[in-house]
Amino acid sequence: MTELRFKKTTEFDEEVYAVHPEDYRALLEALKAEGFDYPRSLTGMDTGYGLRVVVHLYGMESGKKATVYTDVPYDDPVVPSATDLWPGLEWFEREAYDLVGIRFAGHPDLRRILLEEDWTIHPLQKRYDTGGYLLPDWQPAPWPETPPWEEPEAREEGGEA
Amino acid sequence: MRGPTTITPVPGRTDEMILNMGPQHPATHGVLKVVLGLDGERITRAVPHIGFLHRNHEKIEEARTYIQIITYTDRMDYVSGLQNELPFILAVEDLLGVEVPKRAQYIRVIFFELYRIASHLVWLGTGMLDLGAITPFLYTFRDREKILEIAEKTAGARMLPNYFTFGGVRRDVHPEFFKDVAAFLDFFESRLPDYRALVLDSPVFQARAVGVGVLPKERAIARGASGPVLRASGVAYDVRKAEPYDAYPELEFEVPTRPEGDVYARFWVRFREMEESVKIIRQALEKVPKTGPYKGKVPPRIKPKPGARYRAVEISRGHLGAYVVSDGSEYPLRIKHRSPSFANLQLIPDLFVGARFADAIAILSSLDPVFGEVDR
Amino acid sequence: MSRMPLSTERRVYPRRVGYDPTRPRPGLERTAYALFFTALWVMVVLAYGVVPSVFRHYGWMKTPLGFAAFAAIEAVLAFLLASLVALILIVVLRKYLGKVQERVGPMHYGPAGAFQTVFDALKLLAKEDFAPKRADWLIFRLAPAIVFVSAFLLMVAIPVAPGWLIADLDVGLLYIVAVSTLGAYGVVLGGLSQGNKWGLLGAFRAGAQLVSYEVPLAIALLSVGVFAGSLRFTEIVEQQYGLWNVVPLFLSFVVYLVASIAELKSTPFDLPEAESEIIAGYNTEYSGMSFAFFFLAEFVELFLLPGFMVLLFFGGWHGPLFGLDPQSFAAGLLQSLYFLVKVAVWIWIFLWIRATLPRFRDDQLMDLAWKGLLPLSLAGLMVAALLRIFLEVV
Repeated sequence: MTELRFKKTTEFDEEVYAVHPEDYRALLEALKAEGFDYPRSLTGMDTGYGLRVVVHLYGMESGKKATVYTDVPYDDPVVPSATDLWPGLEWFEREAYDLVGIRFAGHPDLRRILLEEDWTIHPLQKRYDTGGYLLPDWQPAPWPETPPWEEPEAREEGGEA
Repeated sequence: MRGPTTITPVPGRTDEMILNMGPQHPATHGVLKVVLGLDGERITRAVPHIGFLHRNHEKIEEARTYIQIITYTDRMDYVSGLQNELPFILAVEDLLGVEVPKRAQYIRVIFFELYRIASHLVWLGTGMLDLGAITPFLYTFRDREKILEIAEKTAGARMLPNYFTFGGVRRDVHPEFFKDVAAFLDFFESRLPDYRALVLDSPVFQARAVGVGVLPKERAIARGASGPVLRASGVAYDVRKAEPYDAYPELEFEVPTRPEGDVYARFWVRFREMEESVKIIRQALEKVPKTGPYKGKVPPRIKPKPGARYRAVEISRGHLGAYVVSDGSEYPLRIKHRSPSFANLQLIPDLFVGARFADAIAILSSLDPVFGEVDR
Repeated sequence: MSRMPLSTERRVYPRRVGYDPTRPRPGLERTAYALFFTALWVMVVLAYGVVPSVFRHYGWMKTPLGFAAFAAIEAVLAFLLASLVALILIVVLRKYLGKVQERVGPMHYGPAGAFQTVFDALKLLAKEDFAPKRADWLIFRLAPAIVFVSAFLLMVAIPVAPGWLIADLDVGLLYIVAVSTLGAYGVVLGGLSQGNKWGLLGAFRAGAQLVSYEVPLAIALLSVGVFAGSLRFTEIVEQQYGLWNVVPLFLSFVVYLVASIAELKSTPFDLPEAESEIIAGYNTEYSGMSFAFFFLAEFVELFLLPGFMVLLFFGGWHGPLFGLDPQSFAAGLLQSLYFLVKVAVWIWIFLWIRATLPRFRDDQLMDLAWKGLLPLSLAGLMVAALLRIFLEVV
């Protein structure tokens, strides 16, 4: 877990991990091994500059809560699926795909779930208004200069300092 | 027309009948469609389809101010309407840093548990209707009516009262509220033995329910099941205990569990929960401060500081969560409602395959989905 | 904060014509149902007592023309009786379910809702009788007729008082077994022919259930025949003077009770039309009068099966006669009344069961029939045969 690119903070009573999309899957595997066995929720959202997946986990034994999120760009919103770790996330990932447009690589059955199969848009993206029409003056915000995650070396320095 | 049914006949196999159950089937509690492969009466394949009641609450809520959103949350699980407001309110209160006065906390708990009883009564009636008994439905709806009348006196509405608000409740309770609730509890406790005799102790019901639709503990946890479905599989997970909110830390109650994980266990757990709710409300009636503010100090314009918060409560159907992301404006950036029935319905392929068709109906009513919240 | 003014009492205002339908009217209800019962009694007396007695008294039955006239009159009377029974029983069922469920039941049409079924029947008559495109038209149309006719034919075999009967069959028991099995054909064919998968499932269930329960039912009837030494209803009833069959043949009685509930397709055995599982089962696609025929047949059977139970196990028309000559017309009136009262009590028990219990599953139903009732009915047959031998030796 130490070699992964992520940043751990504590908000309220939860541990929040901001993780690099390439290390997302590895972090989830590490958390699963740590005892987070109950999938509370999975949210897909549009941050204005990209798409974000937020996973909320809970450890039945420890009672600990963890939130993991990762950002992916609009043009390639692919995130590895966690369905094999927590089968309960199957429909949540389908919902995130359906409404937000995040593609989960390795999902067994990635179909639309709430909308009909012939929908072409993902209505929860900020570029659409509540009626599902494109907002004429919407522009994606620039990708943030400083990524929310930290390189492993920086984290260790920061942790020791 | 929704897209492909995803079950296609196996070439050369003639003993399998493909049957669309729903979305207008009487036992699907609304608008669930399950495509079934049937070998005689035995289910060989099951593919659930949801979304027939989809309104995209989450998109609508992004264009509403925080105070307006509370009205929408009511509409998710309309059977236990009031309970749905709480996770969103708790999350926003956390972001705002608002303190809730003691009296408001206890009033919230009393309403919360009253609606749990109301919701379980609807489940009991419709569940027994699915199993072929018509009479419990009328009995339970009569009892539920009394709860809704109590709510109407205070909140002005019955099913979807829109009563909780940031920092407390919207208005003080009706002067007769506590007396009414105590009278209802006495009445309801006198009815519970009858329901027990009509349902749990009925040999016909036991023949239908014991050993049917068994959900193992590990599978229930991994599938994200919650509420009575999870507790009937032997997991004592209750959000009221795991992450207490409002006045629950000061109240004593049990979390009923059963190890079997079958339909009977799920019915039994809900029964016991009604009894526990009565216990909780009785304690709350004793402990509630008789005077005091019913609402904390809340800024006139609700603009939570930028950040994100996930809060959960234990509604009648299980773990209802709200994930609120604020960018500091009057409108939320994103609100995600994690609904218990949505997660519980993922169990349909697990539980249906191999069961008989009549068992599938019993299993579905023991999962107790409400489609307002599944489809949101 | 100002509170919204709420009326504490919600009230439905009375319709312009009529009365407040939310108010229970026990007195009116009792009067209405007493009148119904009287009408039924008069109809029974007419169909079973007056007309056959007149024809027999004048010897008109011996001529072909007279026999044809008799058959025609009786057919009309029996049809009217069947309709009356169904009309009364449907509203009684709904009222009784209302009582059990703490509501008032139908209240709008007629005194205390007593004419509700008449209006329902008129509505069904006015509805389009629709046949789906995929249905097998001929069989689809034939099935309700088979169901209704088989129920209706059974009315011929019932004696309501000594000498009061339409046809005195010497194989009455065999006749009812044969004719009531015909009804199963109608149900199965109706379900199969409608081109609907729910109907198909209902037909499967109905076929399995009706055929399985026919077997213990027939054996229970047979044990009564063995005990009485006759298959003729009048003799079976006569032989019960002193001791009703329910005491010596208790086993067969229990088998008959359970099997007849299953034959009625009433809860807890209402699988063929379990509305929460398979929509409406075999009558999913039926509408208008075709549906009404299924419905009518069901309620005629709800009258007939308790009727046969009373004849076979509860002494038929037996009751105190207060010194009247058993063969006189006055005694006939009294005895047919006894018969109807006993049947009414049993109908009430059947409705009570219907209002209380949930439904069995299909495989449990089959288990009960083949593993529970069949051995029990065979034991009942053995008991009947042993008792018969014992009585003949003594």
